[in-house]
Amino acid sequence: MTAALRRRRVRAVAIAATGAASLLLAACHGGDASGLPLRVEISHRVGTQPLQLGETEYTLDDGDALRIDRLRYYLSNFRLRRHDRSWSAAARSDSDARGYVLVDEAQPASRSFEVAGFAPGEYEGVEFLIGVDAARNSAGAQTGALDPALGMFWTWNSGYIFLKLEGRSPQATTPGQRVSWHVGGSPNARTVYLPLPRPLRLAPDIVSTVHLHADVAAALLAGEPLRVAGHEALMDPAGGAAIADRYATAFRVDHVHHEPRR
Amino acid sequence: MPRRPPRRRLFAAFALLLVAGGAAGAACWWPSRTPQLHRPAGWPAPVYDIQRNPPTAAGFALGRKLFYDPRLSQDGSIACASCHQQFAAFAHFDHRVSHGLHGANGTRNAPGLFNLAWQPDFMWDGAVAHLELQPLAPLTNPVEMGETLPAVLARLRADPDYPRLFARAFGPGGDEGPIDSQRFLRALTQFLVTMISDDSRYDRYRAGRATFSDAETRGLAAFRTHCSACHVEPLFTDYRYRRNGLRGDDAGRAAISGNAADRGRFRVPSLRNVALTAPYMHDGRFDTLEQVLAHYRSGVPDALRDEPLLREATSVGAAEAEDIIAFLQTLTDERFVHDRRFSEAASR
Ligand code: HEC
Ligand code: HEC
Repeated sequence: MTAALRRRRVRAVAIAATGAASLLLAACHGGDASGLPLRVEISHRVGTQPLQLGETEYTLDDGDALRIDRLRYYLSNFRLRRHDRSWSAAARSDSDARGYVLVDEAQPASRSFEVAGFAPGEYEGVEFLIGVDAARNSAGAQTGALDPALGMFWTWNSGYIFLKLEGRSPQATTPGQRVSWHVGGSPNARTVYLPLPRPLRLAPDIVSTVHLHADVAAALLAGEPLRVAGHEALMDPAGGAAIADRYATAFRVDHVHHEPRR
Repeated sequence: MPRRPPRRRLFAAFALLLVAGGAAGAACWWPSRTPQLHRPAGWPAPVYDIQRNPPTAAGFALGRKLFYDPRLSQDGSIACASCHQQFAAFAHFDHRVSHGLHGANGTRNAPGLFNLAWQPDFMWDGAVAHLELQPLAPLTNPVEMGETLPAVLARLRADPDYPRLFARAFGPGGDEGPIDSQRFLRALTQFLVTMISDDSRYDRYRAGRATFSDAETRGLAAFRTHCSACHVEPLFTDYRYRRNGLRGDDAGRAAISGNAADRGRFRVPSLRNVALTAPYMHDGRFDTLEQVLAHYRSGVPDALRDEPLLREATSVGAAEAEDIIAFLQTLTDERFVHDRRFSEAASR
């Protein structure tokens, strides 16, 4: 084989490999990875008070009292709605967990995050899923926010735990007065659409933030209030349905703000 | 420097070709090559998407090492292979229900492991929806291996060998180094997914490469009349959740689906290698195939004959039952249970 021929071969292999790699990348990306990020900040509240994990005992309107030790949940499938009712969706990828967010009250950084991949423009509403969509809920071993080692995965009935709310209540008849509500199972993922109080603008030169409030009390008191007694441990898909219907009502947009990007 | 005569160049090229061809050829038939997920003739397409996790020599060997390593369990005493033994087609020989940590018993019989790439979901009740997630169930079950995934990963990271083996299989990795849960689960999956049992005497008979005795031939015909509505060829299951007339308290599929109509339904198990996987049924209640056939013939209570496909199975005659048992022996795949690539010896 002459050196020139060898060089040409090497080049052909390199081109084929690059081609294959870019094909692979193209196949993996949903949405527009080159799009703009949206900042999301979330404050958790119980009624009018900010949520504090641990010793603070909150008395709900139905008379039940609750201390909250842990609040963790998944948000995913963010979309923004334009005035003409068309949508721009966040970037997703089959090969990593971008677009999936694990919010953990115990980790303040997790309550302030960016979702990437939106088109520039002006939007009037934001939509997201509380939980993990059915496709990703049974898609095999995953990484990032969807790593099963994060403790938000049921191994005996495989799928993600969409929400964990754990605490203690004097109304609980369990040892240690423990309350454990774990919601999962694809039918319990809930889509939430929230209109924005004023238009949200996305452009390369600004940082646009949507600030959400999530009220634990509103969730527990929505519709028929969820009483602690008799519901101390909801840990399977069937039991979680009651909570899933309620947590969808917990979120509202507090405000939207824009700052110059520096 | 004088040019090399063309003759010599030709010879050098020929020699090179021979060596390269030999290496390629060896890779194709050498029994120690990495097993791949192939699709035997006449079988449906596998459901596991092998593109996302293609088996490599290093990944498969790592998966095998993990499968045979008792350090995955909380007290270092139980490996996957403790309950899934190759000579029993990776079922738990002679154990009615799984027997794990500190001698604790589970409630279910460990099934054989093979042809998992074709299986849409796992466990007798279909609790696990994806093969890669299956190892999490025994790993974290307090009566099986009693561990947590973060603890197992920490132990693997502290091991003198595993970081190198993970890096060789999957690359150096990111901030967490070469070991993460996805790689751990995918390595085990590379081992599990390539366990294909497609070389029983039944397979060779169907391909015209083996003969059946008269009893076996009659047994196959009787099986097709009475049994194959649920135990569908060539995998000998339709992967559906059904009742086969057993009485018991186990909620079965209903515990997963939340649907009361699924009470007592279990996945139709494959019958490949069935002569090796005793005891039988989800709770291991029968020790022999004779007892299984006696159950279908006369043990199904009238109240449980609601599964329409079961009617044929309850009308097996005494002679037919013997023939069916003779036929079931032809489903044993000796090559699979002796395949060194899946053996404990190869894992060391
Ligand atoms: C203590 C015994 C025990 C150990 C250890 C164990 N298993 Fe199992 N395995 C079982 C039992 C029992 C079942 C069936 C459980 C059920 O259906 O509820 C099972 C089911 C399975 C299945 C599903 C088979 C099917 O047909 O649905 C796979 C795959 C599997 N095990 C792989 C593994 C792997 C990999 C490991 C190691 C990480 C492992 N097992 C460790 C007992 C065990
Ligand atoms: C209605 C569907 C159906 C029919 C028909 C049927 N089976 Fe089954 N079979 C099942 C189910 C479901 C199980 C698992 C039941 C359980 O464990 O609770 C099973 C289990 C078995 C097992 C135990 C396998 C193991 O690994 O534990 C054997 C052996 C078996 N069947 C043989 C037969 C034979 C032989 C026939 C025909 C006479 C037959 N079956 C007909 C549904 C069926």
